[in-house]
Amino acid sequence: MKSLKNIITVFAIVIAIVLSGCKKSLELVPFNAFSDETAYSTPERCLLALNGVYDAAQSGDYDPLNGTAHSVRGYPFGAAALEQNEMRGEDMVNIATFFQITYQATYTPVSPNNVNMWINLYLLINKANLAIDGFKFALSKGIISTTVAAQYEAECRFLRAMAHHELLINFSRPYLDGNGNKLGVPYHDYAISSPASLDKLKAHARELVSVCYDKILIDLDFAETNLPAGANVVRAAKAAAIALKMRVKMHKGDWSIATGVVFEGNKLIPNGPINPLVWTSVISPIGGNKLEQNPNGAFLNNSTLESIFSIKNDALDNTGVNAALAQMFGPNVPGRGLVAISPVIFNSPAWRCDDKRRDTSTVPGSVPLAPTPTNMIIYGNSNANTKSFFTRKYIDYVNQADYTPILRYAEVLLMQAEAEARNSGVISQRAIELLNTVRNRAIPAPALNQYTIVSFADKNALIKAILDERRIEFLAEGKRWGDIHRLAMDPNFSTGGIPAKVVNGFSNNTGLYGCSLPIPPLNNLAIAYADYRFLWPIPQDELVQNPVIVPNPGY
Amino acid sequence: MRKLTLILSAVFVFVLSAAAQDRTITGKVTDEKGTAIEGVSVTGSDGKQGTQTDKEGNFRLTIPSSVRSLNFSSVNFETQTRPVGSQLVINVSLRPADKQLEEVVIVGYGTQQKKGFTGAASKVDTKEFAQLVTPSIDKQLQGRAAGVDVVNAGGSVNTPAKIRIRGYNTISFGASPLIIVDGIPITTGNLALTTNSNAIGDINPADIESVDILKDGASLAIYGSKGANGVIQITTKKGSKNKTSLTYDGTMGFSSISEKFSVLDAQGFVNIANEKFTNAGQAAPAKMDAVGTNTDWQDNVFVNSAFVQNHTVSMMGGTNKSTYYFSLGYSDQQGVVRSNHNRAFRVRANLEQEANKYIKFGNNITLSRQEDKDQQNGSNALSGAIVSALRALPNVAIHNGAHATGYNITGNSLGQGANLRTIDDNYVNIAFVLDNNKFYSDKYRIIDVAFVDIMPVKGLTIRSQLGIDYYTDNSFLGYDPRHGDGFSSVGRANNGQNNILATTIQEYFNYNKTFRKHSVYLTGGYELSQSTTRFYSATGTNISDLFFLKENVVTNTASTQSVSGNYSKSATESFFGRVNYDYNNKYFIQATVRRDGLSSLGTSNRYGNFPGFSVGWRPTQENFWKFKFFNDIKLKGSYAIVGNPIPGFRYLSTYGSAPYGNIGGIAVSNVGNPELKWERSKKTDIGVELTFWNNRVNLVADWFKNDIDQIILAVPTPPSAGIPGNNILRNIGAAENKGWEFSVNVDVIRKENFNWNMNFIYTNIKNKVKSLFPIGNAPGTEITNPESSPYNIIRIGESIFSLYGYRYAGVNAANGNPVYYKANGSLVQRSVSTGAYTTATSLNDGVAGTASSLGPADKVVLGPSNPTYFGSFTNNFTYKNFGLELMFRYSGGNKIMNVTRQEVLLNQKFANSGTELLDRWTTVGQVTQTPKMYYANDAIINQNGEATSRFVEDGDFIRFQNIVLDYRFNKATIARFRDYIKSVRIFVQMQNVAVWTKYKGSDPEGYSNFGVDATVAPAIRTTSAGITVGF
Repeated sequence: MKSLKNIITVFAIVIAIVLSGCKKSLELVPFNAFSDETAYSTPERCLLALNGVYDAAQSGDYDPLNGTAHSVRGYPFGAAALEQNEMRGEDMVNIATFFQITYQATYTPVSPNNVNMWINLYLLINKANLAIDGFKFALSKGIISTTVAAQYEAECRFLRAMAHHELLINFSRPYLDGNGNKLGVPYHDYAISSPASLDKLKAHARELVSVCYDKILIDLDFAETNLPAGANVVRAAKAAAIALKMRVKMHKGDWSIATGVVFEGNKLIPNGPINPLVWTSVISPIGGNKLEQNPNGAFLNNSTLESIFSIKNDALDNTGVNAALAQMFGPNVPGRGLVAISPVIFNSPAWRCDDKRRDTSTVPGSVPLAPTPTNMIIYGNSNANTKSFFTRKYIDYVNQADYTPILRYAEVLLMQAEAEARNSGVISQRAIELLNTVRNRAIPAPALNQYTIVSFADKNALIKAILDERRIEFLAEGKRWGDIHRLAMDPNFSTGGIPAKVVNGFSNNTGLYGCSLPIPPLNNLAIAYADYRFLWPIPQDELVQNPVIVPNPGY
Repeated sequence: MRKLTLILSAVFVFVLSAAAQDRTITGKVTDEKGTAIEGVSVTGSDGKQGTQTDKEGNFRLTIPSSVRSLNFSSVNFETQTRPVGSQLVINVSLRPADKQLEEVVIVGYGTQQKKGFTGAASKVDTKEFAQLVTPSIDKQLQGRAAGVDVVNAGGSVNTPAKIRIRGYNTISFGASPLIIVDGIPITTGNLALTTNSNAIGDINPADIESVDILKDGASLAIYGSKGANGVIQITTKKGSKNKTSLTYDGTMGFSSISEKFSVLDAQGFVNIANEKFTNAGQAAPAKMDAVGTNTDWQDNVFVNSAFVQNHTVSMMGGTNKSTYYFSLGYSDQQGVVRSNHNRAFRVRANLEQEANKYIKFGNNITLSRQEDKDQQNGSNALSGAIVSALRALPNVAIHNGAHATGYNITGNSLGQGANLRTIDDNYVNIAFVLDNNKFYSDKYRIIDVAFVDIMPVKGLTIRSQLGIDYYTDNSFLGYDPRHGDGFSSVGRANNGQNNILATTIQEYFNYNKTFRKHSVYLTGGYELSQSTTRFYSATGTNISDLFFLKENVVTNTASTQSVSGNYSKSATESFFGRVNYDYNNKYFIQATVRRDGLSSLGTSNRYGNFPGFSVGWRPTQENFWKFKFFNDIKLKGSYAIVGNPIPGFRYLSTYGSAPYGNIGGIAVSNVGNPELKWERSKKTDIGVELTFWNNRVNLVADWFKNDIDQIILAVPTPPSAGIPGNNILRNIGAAENKGWEFSVNVDVIRKENFNWNMNFIYTNIKNKVKSLFPIGNAPGTEITNPESSPYNIIRIGESIFSLYGYRYAGVNAANGNPVYYKANGSLVQRSVSTGAYTTATSLNDGVAGTASSLGPADKVVLGPSNPTYFGSFTNNFTYKNFGLELMFRYSGGNKIMNVTRQEVLLNQKFANSGTELLDRWTTVGQVTQTPKMYYANDAIINQNGEATSRFVEDGDFIRFQNIVLDYRFNKATIARFRDYIKSVRIFVQMQNVAVWTKYKGSDPEGYSNFGVDATVAPAIRTTSAGITVGF
């Protein structure tokens, strides 16, 4: 019976091993991610979570919607966003397939370019909302102070407002159309953090444009109050909130000194006299923002005081070869030559031939690796190996570290100039001074060549000059569509819808580019404001998954 | 447990009760014809005494009187047990081992005799393909077993085959079977970081003794949460006691592509390209150069006779207490894309040693090194080898002495030659890229299975087994800065290191007891498996000199450096048990249960139970059975519930790394669902096995149904919710696979000098989606844009991932526009120039219609993407010393979306195109299927990104898979070498001899999971010859 004992012993051992079983071996947690319960458990993690919201603005996950792999691209506020805003306008021309759909307005509810803007803007919005909840939680636990919590929330609300405004200019009619009584977008000021919280969203229909603008301004007022005054290019500061409010109010057509653009602009522009011949004659009392001496100054160095708010890119983290600013906007060598400058603006009589911003003195086709302060256009090969003119605002082809410009002091000055011009019954001298301050640094002998009151037949001629100046100064910064959109219902300055453009892939192979040359014939791409294609379609997935959202008519 | 102990003690007492008194038995062992058999082992029933027969078949054995019977066993004969009564002479005639009766099935945690097996499993005879040229077993399972669909997409030598057992049993997660080697699950898949690779290639096919494919619930229930996709049990070779043999297997041959793509030559390209431009109102840019350059880029990319070779030296044998198997293998496969290469060095050592009659230990180890070389394979990648070869301009030369590299390059594109522009979309000079960019992976693998068997009493074996599977990959990628993918980053060097360590601990017992006509077989135990993955990579761009990116990243040679890494761990803990009961070899019943705990699930759903049952009956064993025509009949049925687990931590809401430039950040990376659990598959099987005509016909037929529910689906969330990935996982779908399998094996002719064996396999599978998640506020009927493919739909009532798109009507003969059917059957044409849709009254309608549209509502299901039937037909002939095997495979019922045609061969860019464009519409009244060309309007003309019936083609085919002719030398011929050579066999063979299909693409199996053919390398045809020598 000794053997029986052995058997029993063996079984006992086996059973002991089994029962001692490694229960703990199943209790595993991820090594590379925090659970949402611990993501806000220290002040350091709160800051990390805030940075993560900026990251959502910098780059996004591009879903090609065709089964191929997702990739990082410049949505919602990287190269892709800038380019789409240019491609909707007439001042730049699409060369390759990348933005052809946007250029030719053939988008559908399943066009990746448009769908991904929607996806990534709302992803940014939800990350901002989740972080706001997280900061409130951390505040309630005493992890961060009231001041820090308020500042972080302000930064998130700044980004949230900016994202909603970007949605409005693409998916909704402008404010001026019926004073905001058209359909806007759902303004999400709450977080979606679980399957259960989806229910709230699914009852949240598209709000009126006016309601959205009100909510944007509430967010920006909160941001202005709680953001620090010091300059900070890559994080939102007080000046950024104010400058963004100027832009939003400009879209609203609220130019007034009491509540509108001028009201906000006066916080960033001292009330004294302006000498437009001195580029530093205007310095913002908040943040100390001012112009650079040269028109290319803010692009040669990403962190000058001219940049009020930019989205950071650097060698470590950028939008990659398929979505970096230099790659997309630069010539085919060493970039990709996908988006070129159109003769519509290049040949425009509004743009002086000797304007430094159009200096193309680089040898045609040479590698533009050594930019100069004024040399802002390069003549080079496009993606289709045709000759084209490309911007040189974005220069870091190797590390793809150009910041995405969002708000520059030059924009503040030109917005204020337009507002002053519009508010004035006559030709506004101050508007001319503000306009000249931006323009003079780009033209030779500004004392002789700058605008004066006699340059303009009337008030509208001045406003027209300011609007043209915006096209020149902000070329390739993605501001053209915003202007087309907001001016669509303007009685004097409307393009009537999406303006006519040169044909897709237009090149200079036949020498059609040149200052003072006539603008070449434009392709039949003009789309009237009333046409459904003036708006982007609400993505199919949104309509399907969330029936409370109604489509834009026509799609 | 108490009952078991009781039974065990009873047995024990019974054994001990015998008394001791010795006597000597003599006798002779012969075969049925009376010929003496040498080397038969004769053992007493208590296993303590043993001897072997001599050359005359005689034996002599002294046994105590407690021994009541003698066992006579020999490899090729049925084991016989003879009672020892009072006689002292026992003469025995052994019957040749009847394969059918003696065959065992490797079931989970044990083996079962095939005659009593009530599940559905296929045993693959590895001899059939041991010498075929293939670096891995997976690809050779094609056509070998009913119910098992193996697709080997594309001609890459490194990619794993796709194996589906009884259909597609999931939607979102792994659909590949669990692969077990010598009892331990192993890591499989395409795991290398910079190349394709096939982890199962670490097992040398020549080392495999048997492959058992478990298909039904009863066999799979013991695998619980991992059983839903079936299990492939691989058993490696073991030596035999007291025998030694040394074998050399060698095969060498050449591979080539079975068919080139049909693209335009230089003049054809110039004509077609210029017409694209002139149709679009632009100047014609294509020109023949002065010397009439006509480059066939496929000739540069593909190798016409890629050298392949396999060599294995193996030694097996044993003493009376030990067995061993040892092998060395070398395999070298040059791919048909010239940069594609796989090389494997494999060592296996299997050892079993009996310490005494109670304890045995063993260790099976594989050491393997696999090197892979590869290239960019992306179907849209700018330097994708195949796509570049097809798009490259044929009227430009490969080389250009004027360029610094010596290659024909303009900017960062293929050189433009005499053309007025360079190739569109930056396609590269692929010759330069293949010559200079490097994709390399060097992998080492240890798979070790160590065990100790304790056999305290007769019939009981307690096994403690430890499996370690360690995989390490050292990958390198070097992009030349001068041209191609490395151009804009000024060179890129990347090293990646990926380690996967999987350990499995098993403690289980098998207990076998027969009393009178009752047999009981019990299995039970515990298993803990854990897996850890560690990964890091280092990347440098802007490399100071080309010199520094040839083999490895080098310190301080890159001005931009980045690192990345990750770590993950998972575990499964299981308890399992199984009871088999068999009455008189006639009635069979089996019950199984497994309880699994998964670390990938939330605490509330972590554990689950998986039961299975089966029954069987052999009416031929009944006394009343009269039909002697049937040698054996078995009827069987089974039902079980098994699962398909979910990887990762998808139940958790997590914040992952989200840096803002170089500023660290975190952001929500997953919105979890704590309710997640495994997918569930309820498997039913009813089958019959018939053997008749003197055991010459063996027929197996099974009806099966996999009823799958709790399918995990990424339930879309509205994009405006801002949830990463725009979905949350839920167990919400249901589907079924239903069908029948049929296989018949006939010894048509059995003559002394001539044998003909025929094997026919047929499988029929109907896959149907049964329920999905709600969409918006309504019950969902379909998923129109499944995450992985725009060409497919998951719709209730249809097969999973059916192809879905527009119905193409043809070309409007009046204007060359493509014409489609709208949902209501009316025609709509699409302007090739503007993309605008207008109505059309007929396919010859010259009048511009009114504005119309073609939208999601006009899409229809165009066909299933998985085959609905497949199988094989094999004939084996032996005539004297010659053998001939002819194997045919067939498959069909599926459709293939030919994206290669749509996007590459019919492109409208300044790039080369397929000859199909020669049929384009050019003149009014011309009837054709190919619309008018228009530069750059690919998406408009071909509906890129959408499936249309124009590109959705039948996938049916018959493939002449293999022909093998071999010759075995007579013993007499090699007699003068008999001291050192025992046998010689030589053979010649061809794999993938021919394909009969209507499919227009390169190969009807060149499609991914979802029936989409997107520019993969054409299938390989290999011709080889080899020799097997036994020493």
